[in-house]
Amino acid sequence: MDINLYALLTYALTAVISLLVIGVIVVINKLMSRSKSKDSD
Amino acid sequence: MDALAQIFPGIATLFVEDPILGVVRVGLTILGFVLAYFGFKGKLEPLIMVPMGLGMIAVNCGVLFLDGGSTGTLIIDPLVSDTDDLMTAIQVNFLQPIYNFMFSNNLIACLVFMGIGARSEISFLLSRPWTCIIIAIFAELGTFVTLALGVDFFGLDPASAASVAIIGGADGPMVLFGTLMMKPELFVSVSIIAYLYLSLTYAGYPYIIKAMVPKKYRGIDIEFDMPQVSQKAKFIFIVVVCLLLCLLLPVAAPLMLSFFLGMAVKEAKILPYQELLEGGITSFSSLFLGLVLGCLCEASTILNPTVGIILILGILALAISAVGGIAGGWLMYFVGKKTSKSFNPAVGIAGISCMPTTTKLAQHAVEEENPFAIVIPIAMGCNISGVIVSAIAAGVFVATIGLVL
Repeated sequence: MDINLYALLTYALTAVISLLVIGVIVVINKLMSRSKSKDSD
Repeated sequence: MDALAQIFPGIATLFVEDPILGVVRVGLTILGFVLAYFGFKGKLEPLIMVPMGLGMIAVNCGVLFLDGGSTGTLIIDPLVSDTDDLMTAIQVNFLQPIYNFMFSNNLIACLVFMGIGARSEISFLLSRPWTCIIIAIFAELGTFVTLALGVDFFGLDPASAASVAIIGGADGPMVLFGTLMMKPELFVSVSIIAYLYLSLTYAGYPYIIKAMVPKKYRGIDIEFDMPQVSQKAKFIFIVVVCLLLCLLLPVAAPLMLSFFLGMAVKEAKILPYQELLEGGITSFSSLFLGLVLGCLCEASTILNPTVGIILILGILALAISAVGGIAGGWLMYFVGKKTSKSFNPAVGIAGISCMPTTTKLAQHAVEEENPFAIVIPIAMGCNISGVIVSAIAAGVFVATIGLVL
């Protein structure tokens, strides 16, 4: 595989995994704060 | 004359060895003094530079005649590989056990990561998670550009280029780990240069910030709401993210485990462990990391022809990552203008995971123009994201570099 294409693909893969990880954090945060507000209701 | 040489071997070996080696030894001794002095003055990171500088001085001055007429030191021999020779080296060289049992297997990097984790606050990341991660992705630019440059323009093989390119993530432990996994032959030279440069970022990055962010933008304050996250929620985040990253990138699992263990200990309020990680473990590992790195700076190691290439590529990687991080900061500034959420482009530098140096640099840059602006929480969020992104990048390289070999 050409090194430039490899660099591009690995950069894209790194970005996708990073966004996925942060997405999971955001979803958990929303779920936790929702359950917290339900508890307080 | 021989008797004099035996009495003063440190001086005599300078004249017995190859003259170039002697000159480089003197040069490295002076460089060691300069690094230790700038560490003392606070211009460079003192935690690493003071022990590193002294280590460089000792290893280049304390050369003596060994059995068989060869020259060497009683400090460390990183190149020994034969089992019997290694056993002898461990019994003779005082830092050999630390090198073999802590440095070359990455344990020392993991200990540093535990300490960093114990000092990190995940709620900073939650104040603006998407902004932080996008900036961190931009700040990883140097890693990928350097990989291509290393192969295309410097003729390195992909594994060597990837090992050097990881310097662009500005994450010392990750550099040790990546090089060890992909190109162990370059481990010594890449780790020395990486840590040397990481300390120099402290002095060099402010100029890049000033060059890329005009004065009137550097004082912009960032409005944000610190999310009220419960201890339980933070602990669950930490466990889930650790699980996810280990699952996706098993090669980075030791470092991920160490970083999130530090964070988990903090959130679980296990005070004896927290004190141990923040105090004893961090100080111990930083001291020996600096000392071993300094003692690895022997003239014969530095004279390796690849070192010149690593020196150029290492600084390019860090500079391009800084440019990428600030470009990410500008992107967030323009996005923020449309969504009425202010952002200071200078904070982009904190996407580089050199923790907490780049956070401090961002705050200093902003403070110079606006003493009332506090950007530390957002910068810290970018910094934590930077650690996550550089771990992912290193893990992706280690897992896929075989595709281009």
